[in-house]
Amino acid sequence: MKIRVILIGQFVPRLGFSEKVVEVPAPFTAGDLAAQLGLGEVNKLMAKNGRGIAGGEPLKDGDRVVIAPIFSGG
Amino acid sequence: MKGWTGNILRINLSNKIYKKETFTEEFAKKWIGGRGFALKILWDELKPGTDPLGPDNKLLVVQGPISGVPMPNSGKTIVAAKSPLTGTYGDGNIGSYITIQMRKAGYDIIIFEGKAPSPEYVFIEDDKVSFLSAKEIWGKGTFEAQDWLEKKYGKTAGILSIGQAGEKMVLYAIIRSMQGRSGGRPGIGAVMGSKNLKAIVVKGTKEIPLADSKAMRDRGRADLRKVGEMDKKARWSVQGTNAVLSWCNEMWALPVRNMRHSHHPDAWKLDGQRTSEARVATYGCPNCTMRCGIAILDKEGHESEIDYENVGMLGPNLEIFNLKQMASLNYLCDDFGMDTISGGSALSFYADAIDQGATTGDFKFGDAERAKELLRLIARREGIGDFLALGSLKMAKKIGKNSEAYAIQCKGLDLSAYNCKYVPGQALAFGTSAIGAHHKEAWIITYELTYSERGAYGRDKAQKVVELQRIRSSIFESLPICRFPWIELGWDLKNYSDYFNLATGSNWTIDDFTKRGDRIYALLKAFWTREHPDTDRTADYPPRIYFDPSIADKEGPAAGKHLEYDKYDALLDHYYDIRGWDKRGVPTRQTMESVGLAKEAEQLAKVAKVEEATVVSGSREQ
Repeated sequence: MKIRVILIGQFVPRLGFSEKVVEVPAPFTAGDLAAQLGLGEVNKLMAKNGRGIAGGEPLKDGDRVVIAPIFSGG
Repeated sequence: MKGWTGNILRINLSNKIYKKETFTEEFAKKWIGGRGFALKILWDELKPGTDPLGPDNKLLVVQGPISGVPMPNSGKTIVAAKSPLTGTYGDGNIGSYITIQMRKAGYDIIIFEGKAPSPEYVFIEDDKVSFLSAKEIWGKGTFEAQDWLEKKYGKTAGILSIGQAGEKMVLYAIIRSMQGRSGGRPGIGAVMGSKNLKAIVVKGTKEIPLADSKAMRDRGRADLRKVGEMDKKARWSVQGTNAVLSWCNEMWALPVRNMRHSHHPDAWKLDGQRTSEARVATYGCPNCTMRCGIAILDKEGHESEIDYENVGMLGPNLEIFNLKQMASLNYLCDDFGMDTISGGSALSFYADAIDQGATTGDFKFGDAERAKELLRLIARREGIGDFLALGSLKMAKKIGKNSEAYAIQCKGLDLSAYNCKYVPGQALAFGTSAIGAHHKEAWIITYELTYSERGAYGRDKAQKVVELQRIRSSIFESLPICRFPWIELGWDLKNYSDYFNLATGSNWTIDDFTKRGDRIYALLKAFWTREHPDTDRTADYPPRIYFDPSIADKEGPAAGKHLEYDKYDALLDHYYDIRGWDKRGVPTRQTMESVGLAKEAEQLAKVAKVEEATVVSGSREQ
């Protein structure tokens, strides 16, 4: 499956990219994706196609997944 | 008494008489400091109906028991007064050396009363107060005023100043410090200007009284290092708060075109990565471990220090996607000393009202050059600027033609940069914020969009709003202290009660704070009610446009969705039920008595209807 990953905030310098398509095997969850990226144990927010999700959320080919740090506003 | 200095400095600007007063430990432990102190003093000392811009209003600068001690992010000061925007209690917190200097001068509270006969600034050096002419800085921007005062008193002197917006009483004028810090969104800078007070300078030489100075020093040093390392590891400061912009855009919660839209394909041009790449300097408050002030160069070459709220309200909200132009607008707001959020909202409301045919004028979304001209006119209150200086609600009331529906405000204070047209819990947080729509009160949007169903109106969301209002009002606004280490880095909330205990010799838990948070929130709403005796639940509604199906997104995760009145009312009922307030949103006598406000309930009942007990729709949760 091809998943478009969007990183926000400090995850950009941490992983060295802000957006890219990654290939993952099916079945695959958002938590699997975070772990593969090295963000498994990090406090974070995740969203799929504009909807907030938890780590157990299954992914499908073509999904857009956003991974962001925890915020409290500007 | 330890932790608190126990001293109030009361300064009358009309007759130049000042005196030192004291407060009791009982008062200190009941109200903590910061907001708690300011709220109680303004409740007691202001007559209902006091003109916010008249000499009878009072301007307070307030500290708390751990203000200025060497610990992570303890450099915050509260500025407070009756607000000219909302007509009720208003405050803001601002990072400043005045936090440290006031405490060293021996004061937790400074109260300014009256009005100076001509423009002045006040210099406080320990026990001595000097009233000095401000003629060399009156009419100048905040950068020049701060610079002039720093040259005279030193870079670490505690300095608060206003710009031209405060002098001219633009209703959303703020107070500035350290060339980059701002506070007092509800027009506290306008109150300062109404008193002909250009600046406040404080220098102190005394010891801050602490119960256990050595333990405080040792723990503080260790934690300053620890939290700084946490930030380095997390790399939070790389993008600072503007990382939020991309997330809001991805989640369709970005303010675009006076919040008629919630997403824009060009938003990336202003995002955290772009501002980080454009950074020329980074600034922070005293004792800061995670500096959030990212300075970039504006179109004219000035350093412009941005954070997410500035970018959101002066960028996509105005459909301006040129980074340098957005930075120019931000620089002008900072220099004039006006709130970037309400300033951006006044401009977007004006463009929207022209678009809707409610008024005529020469301004369109996306016109950055005209926006700059308008900001200059606002600061001088010239021509159309005099109208724009009123803020979106008062502008709408003058225009009429149903324009109040798209004035993006609650209780007169404009919303921070989160579009809630289909985010009911955050809409509730803005709606019930007792000082008007401010993100510092309860920011639940990440919880709501990540851990909860977006369009749901469940009791959990009302509970979350109350929980955050309790914590923020009691700990972050009343100690007062910066919240970033807690949320952004996950630094345990218990650290704050630990420091409080080291300072005061107490043995408080977080529960001891949050109980006081309920007291503070009840008195905040009582203050609103005292000033608006005919208030009802509509005072706690978000902007009316959020309920309008015609502005629902056409695509994205909230396509076709909007807030619904009956569901929002049900959510509001949950909120009132948890709080123990009546159906109008007014604390009942029973509730006020339960949080130690029996006398205040009696006082409120003299000017407004106070129900005896709550009409319970479910079980009370405390």
